[in-house]
Amino acid sequence: LKILTVIEVAFFVLVIALCLIASYRFIDNPPKIATATLIIFNIFFISMFFQLNSSVTLKMGILSLGNLIGFLWNLFFYYVSLTGHGYFSLSFATFTTLAYPFLNLMWIVPFWSLSLSTLPKLNSANHT
Amino acid sequence: LLIEILNSFFVLSSLIISIYLIRHYFFTLVVLRQTKNKSVPETFPPAFEPSVSILIPAHNEQKVIGKILQKMTELTYLRSKLEVIIIDDASTDKTGQIAEGMSEKYAFLKVLHRSSQEGGKGKAAALNAGLKQATGEIVLCFDADYLPHPDIVTRLVVKFIDPNVGAVQGRPVVLNEPRNIVTRLVALERIGGYRVDQEARDVLGLIPQFGGTVGGFRRSIINDLGGFDEKMLTEDTDLTFQMYLAGYKIRYAGEAECYEEAVDTWRAYWRQRHRWARGHMQVCFKHVFKVIMSKKMTLKEKIDGVLLLNIYFMPLLTLFSFFAGSLLIISGSSFAGALWVPVIISFYSFVGNYAPFFEIGIGAYLDGRKQIQWLAPLLIFSYLYNVLICGKAFLDLITGKIRRGKIDWEKTEHLGNGNCYIES
Repeated sequence: LKILTVIEVAFFVLVIALCLIASYRFIDNPPKIATATLIIFNIFFISMFFQLNSSVTLKMGILSLGNLIGFLWNLFFYYVSLTGHGYFSLSFATFTTLAYPFLNLMWIVPFWSLSLSTLPKLNSANHT
Repeated sequence: LLIEILNSFFVLSSLIISIYLIRHYFFTLVVLRQTKNKSVPETFPPAFEPSVSILIPAHNEQKVIGKILQKMTELTYLRSKLEVIIIDDASTDKTGQIAEGMSEKYAFLKVLHRSSQEGGKGKAAALNAGLKQATGEIVLCFDADYLPHPDIVTRLVVKFIDPNVGAVQGRPVVLNEPRNIVTRLVALERIGGYRVDQEARDVLGLIPQFGGTVGGFRRSIINDLGGFDEKMLTEDTDLTFQMYLAGYKIRYAGEAECYEEAVDTWRAYWRQRHRWARGHMQVCFKHVFKVIMSKKMTLKEKIDGVLLLNIYFMPLLTLFSFFAGSLLIISGSSFAGALWVPVIISFYSFVGNYAPFFEIGIGAYLDGRKQIQWLAPLLIFSYLYNVLICGKAFLDLITGKIRRGKIDWEKTEHLGNGNCYIES
């Protein structure tokens, strides 16, 4: 069972690493911000989510899913910005820079909420 | 030159915003750690049973007053050491009659009627009138729409074993949460504010805020302080800082839970938050320099105090920072990029305590709440609404409305809509 867990965790780590590398390699508008966003997301998620009540496999699975969603989301908007740049030139690049944190929080906040709701309840939850 | 000014403003404001975000991130981590390590519930030494007076100010509360008085009769605290004073504050409805009816049945329930000449001037004035009648060593306050648990007095009073503790604050839980989106968002805000924020401040020895209800204080201290300041719209925040400036501490008792009826329309939400924002800004002007110069407060209390006092200015600062950052990005400044992120994260914060989405999420998780988590993305709309509220409050402030001492008390109407959620 332990070996299976290790294999699962290793797989999820690989997914996360691939997402980071791919975001660095393929998404360049704005420069490297997609990778930075994913790194911040991972630090933020690991520091809080990993302290909660659940198995490491589930937490790693959710984290890797988050990285995958984040990568695809950023890739999609990268192509949107490339297309927009073709039509509207520099003004669209400015718009992208302004909107970029909003666009990323649009997946991070719901993903954070949904992830927390997948976890089993805490034993010491004292809400009436 | 304009760009340089904008740049300086943006850098400064986003750094302040970052300080708040880091503070709340740290609060969240502290509460997570605290919850993991806390396995044994607190026990109460039976020997500590000081005399307690409970004040319930009520102005036209006929729809809710009966329920809270019924709950008062169910309190498990030693009856011989308990008195409940209902302050019928110039009510024009049946509040006084309902209270009198209960008072006839239970000797420990006392009613104080205030005429239209002396009453209706706000909560602080009503509480001061009640304080004159109170005889208990400890005075607890409950709003008329609150429904406390039978053991709440014991849970609150136990914190006063420490002689340095001047006041204690319990935890309000929204009763009418399922009613609509407004009540659900208020519930989420309460979770972030109390389950994480207040708890962390208590654990870290910072400044847990006295909320004016579900809490209490030593009568001797409030008398020494001259009672509640009737010019203050948020007499609770004022008392919080008066306590610390006098060298006392406030403790948070998260296990002392009490149901409340949250505002259930956006209009009522505006009126309540506008009063809170104005009152908080008023208290900020009154106390901020005293806090900085205080010799009785520790450095960490001073820092937390200044951050707490300025919290209702933050939505405006964030908005101005957003506009400054936008202009800088449009003008091609590369400096704005990295500092842009904390400004946007702040858009997913609640205004009352500046709790960001991650803090609220952890609070809801610790409470064992699952579905309410899904509302976190809506925080941005609540935030934008609060920007308008704080903007209006700030305008009131700078136009001198507050400084002239005129108080337009905007009472929150309690319709008793939460009563249907009580198990009979």
